[in-house]
Amino acid sequence: MPTREERIALLQGTLDLLILRTLLFGPQHGQGIARAIQQQSAEVLLVDHGSLYPALQRLEAAGWIGAKWGTSANKRKARFYALTKTGRAQLARETSQWRRLAAAIGRVLGPERAEG
Amino acid sequence: MFRRRVRKPEDFAEEIQAHLELEADRLRAEGLDPDDAGAAARRGFGNLASAQERHYESARWLWWDQLRRDTGYAVRVLSRRPGFTSIAVLTLALGIGANALVFSVVNALVLRPLPVAHPEQLVFLESSSGAGQSFPNYRDLCGRNQAFAGLVGYRIAPMELDSDAGAGRIWGYLATGNYFDVLGVAPLMGRFFHPSDDLRLGASPFAVLSYAAWRSRFGGDPGIVGKTIRINRLPYTVVGVAQPDFHGTELFYWPEVWVPMMMQAQIEVGNSWLEERSTSDTWIVGRLKPGVSPAQAETNLNAIAAELAREYPANNEGLQFKLAKPGLIGDFMGGPAKAFTLGVLGLAALVLLAACANLASLVTARAADRQREIAIRLSIGAGRGRVVRQVLTESLVLSLAGGAVGYALAVLLSRALTQWRAPMDFPVQFNVNPDWRVFLFAFAAAIAAGVLFGSAPAWRASRTDSNAVLKGAPTGGGRQRLATRDLLVVVQVALCFVLVSACLLSVRGLQRALNMRLGFDPRHVSVVAFDLGLAGYTEEQGRDFQRRAQERLAQLPGVASAAFANSLPLSIDQSHTTVFPGDKSGLRPSDGRWATFYQVSPGYFTTMATSLFAGRDFTWGDDRKSPRVAIVNVAFARQVLNTANPVGKYFRHGPGGGLVQVIGMAEDGKYESLTERPRAVVFLPMIQSYNTTTTLIARSARPETQTVAEMREAVGLLDPEMPLYGTGSLPQMLGFAFFPAQSAALALGAFGVLAIMLAVTGIHGIVAYAVARRVREIGIRIAVGACPSQVLRLILAKIAALVLAGSVIGLALSLAAGQLLASVVYGASPRDPLVLSGVAATMILLGVLSSWAPTWRALRIDPMAALRYE
Repeated sequence: MPTREERIALLQGTLDLLILRTLLFGPQHGQGIARAIQQQSAEVLLVDHGSLYPALQRLEAAGWIGAKWGTSANKRKARFYALTKTGRAQLARETSQWRRLAAAIGRVLGPERAEG
Repeated sequence: MFRRRVRKPEDFAEEIQAHLELEADRLRAEGLDPDDAGAAARRGFGNLASAQERHYESARWLWWDQLRRDTGYAVRVLSRRPGFTSIAVLTLALGIGANALVFSVVNALVLRPLPVAHPEQLVFLESSSGAGQSFPNYRDLCGRNQAFAGLVGYRIAPMELDSDAGAGRIWGYLATGNYFDVLGVAPLMGRFFHPSDDLRLGASPFAVLSYAAWRSRFGGDPGIVGKTIRINRLPYTVVGVAQPDFHGTELFYWPEVWVPMMMQAQIEVGNSWLEERSTSDTWIVGRLKPGVSPAQAETNLNAIAAELAREYPANNEGLQFKLAKPGLIGDFMGGPAKAFTLGVLGLAALVLLAACANLASLVTARAADRQREIAIRLSIGAGRGRVVRQVLTESLVLSLAGGAVGYALAVLLSRALTQWRAPMDFPVQFNVNPDWRVFLFAFAAAIAAGVLFGSAPAWRASRTDSNAVLKGAPTGGGRQRLATRDLLVVVQVALCFVLVSACLLSVRGLQRALNMRLGFDPRHVSVVAFDLGLAGYTEEQGRDFQRRAQERLAQLPGVASAAFANSLPLSIDQSHTTVFPGDKSGLRPSDGRWATFYQVSPGYFTTMATSLFAGRDFTWGDDRKSPRVAIVNVAFARQVLNTANPVGKYFRHGPGGGLVQVIGMAEDGKYESLTERPRAVVFLPMIQSYNTTTTLIARSARPETQTVAEMREAVGLLDPEMPLYGTGSLPQMLGFAFFPAQSAALALGAFGVLAIMLAVTGIHGIVAYAVARRVREIGIRIAVGACPSQVLRLILAKIAALVLAGSVIGLALSLAAGQLLASVVYGASPRDPLVLSGVAATMILLGVLSSWAPTWRALRIDPMAALRYE
């Protein structure tokens, strides 16, 4: 498990992308989404829970995700989010944008070995 | 279903609670001490309150909450300044009220459909020769068209009704049997008549009463249906009563009774025209079949018109149809009414604009005083957007309050206007009661006004430099703000100039109309009218009665001369005929000329003070045994006979009519409206051409009321039963002709006064404010020895420049809008020197008046007090 210093705070705007991506596997509640992002990034990405809910709120307002109250695996009441059709399209758009951005930054920074 | 909706803050709090519990569960599962798990989860979450606040701000709740708070604050702020608030609300109320009132008239005349089923399918048939068609033409149109589900023929007709109060003249409709069926209206009581009730001439003695007639003339008798009433002394059975809001198909005319068309000869006694192709007295309204467009219907009608022109060339040559909106007799009244009301609506909008300019400067001045407050708000973290919203909310609260008061005023006034009946024999009445359209209009006007006068101050408030203001920098030094306020003065003065010139133009137009040469002198002439046909007289009895009545009138004390005629110029009842020059043979119908005719007794020209330029007056010798004679006016001589000296020339009535010799030429006058061009008119001797409609006239130096009373008495001595109508002085009876000019002058005059009020208060406010802000400066100037005239110049030079600039712009605008005004007001020319100098004088007066008090205050500033100030 990485130490606190090794974790990376999310860049502005990338949280939306990660939430949408996580929901691609099916409806999930907020805590589950945060867990999933942390686990899938091998605990590198830190999701600030305080930012998570406003982000969900924003995505819901944009119509990319929908929400309803349900019951979690361990029988707790939780608000479940699911991807909408426009959300799926948005995910595809943002994913390709992100890949292009990441590739471009990678090219600018050059090969990893040359570093340091 | 995953739904989207506005979430309540409680819902969000619950979700976060759920998150914390889930997180605690996970931590426990990872082996954390259960007691610490909850706290750890909360730590992991970060700032709870901040998350909730962010949710709150992202939701629409915030918007609503802020609106509520802003409104509450605005109300508190405004109620703390009752002076400012009441002036602002009053200004807006006048502006919005005027607009709502004018709009309710436009709504009634132009927008609101008739209260019948599917009013959009109804059309009025207008033809190239005028509004009316002959009844045989109507029958042919009914039989041959494919475009209409039904065509109704009808005519406005006066009748004599016997009721409990005695015999009296009322106005009603003659209508074909399908009238109510085609309009698709339901009766309040009983039934309406149907085509089966209107089959044979003179055999349909049925009547439908209007609601008002039922209430006022029969006391709302619940058993009226089936009862017999007497119209023109014949019995008619009342079959039904119409709904209160149904007034037939004309917007301006409220009939009291409907009678089947087959009774025409019994209603219009002595003038039976149902079989006459030469009498175009039937108005036609049609209901289009579903799916038929007006253009298709017009094509269909014109094909029939071409057939009719072939079959009856004498009457139908060149016949063509045009469809118009029903309600205003097609373009005859519809055109001018629309142009006038829309023109007035434009002026009303200008008044509102002036009110907005006024308020903008008031609010700007106030906003400048509130700089400190706004600076504090900004410095403790209010966003600029929030400040804009706050100031704008105040403006909207003001404008909505003003709108509410204005709408209430408009409702009251339009109720009064609906109740009001023009002072004439003819039942002219408009239903201008406001409906939802007027309400929406007033609401929209209020919002627009609020945004208009509020947005500039709001924007400026948001740009307050809080640092400078809080440090106590002199306020209002900015060049920008001063420039905007000056601009407002210029706008105000320009708008005021336009409105005042419109107002003066209309007053001048009215004055010209009143002093215009009418072709007769209405002063000192008294009138009493009756109809011998309705009263059951035969022609012989009638002729005898007319002559004896005239003789009695001539003997009344003070009466210089007396006469009678079928109708008088500029009254509602005008008759036309087709005449042909007499010197040609083989005349075709298209050679005919349209002429207005009057049947008059000897002495008519003396009594009316109409000059005879040539020839002689009629005498009692011009009777049925002598050759037929006539007197024509100058226009007739020129247009029909092509001569300046018509005496001795001949003309014909109709292509095959007998020859009539011209024995005299009278001066031109106004006959149908004050704005008409010279019209060909022929006067025929009543002795040679009898008419049952009789208008007795007498010229007397004594007061008209007395003369009228004596005239009534004189007629009553001959026949006490004779129902009289249209009694009064002639100037009074000309109300119909002067009605448009009078209403224009009234409406525009009101706007002019409003505009002047607004401009005076607006300029006064600005000058007063300018003086108040410069108290210190003026004090210093006086202290170092400025004399009063220098102080005066300091204050007035700028105002004078602004008023001048506004006037120049206003002058340019009024000249540009001159065409519009000329169409509304008789003889209006914006280049009229009298009007222009009048407006200029008004503007100067306005400038002086509005800056008087503040300037006076400036002159009396005590330098010591001023310097201690602040």
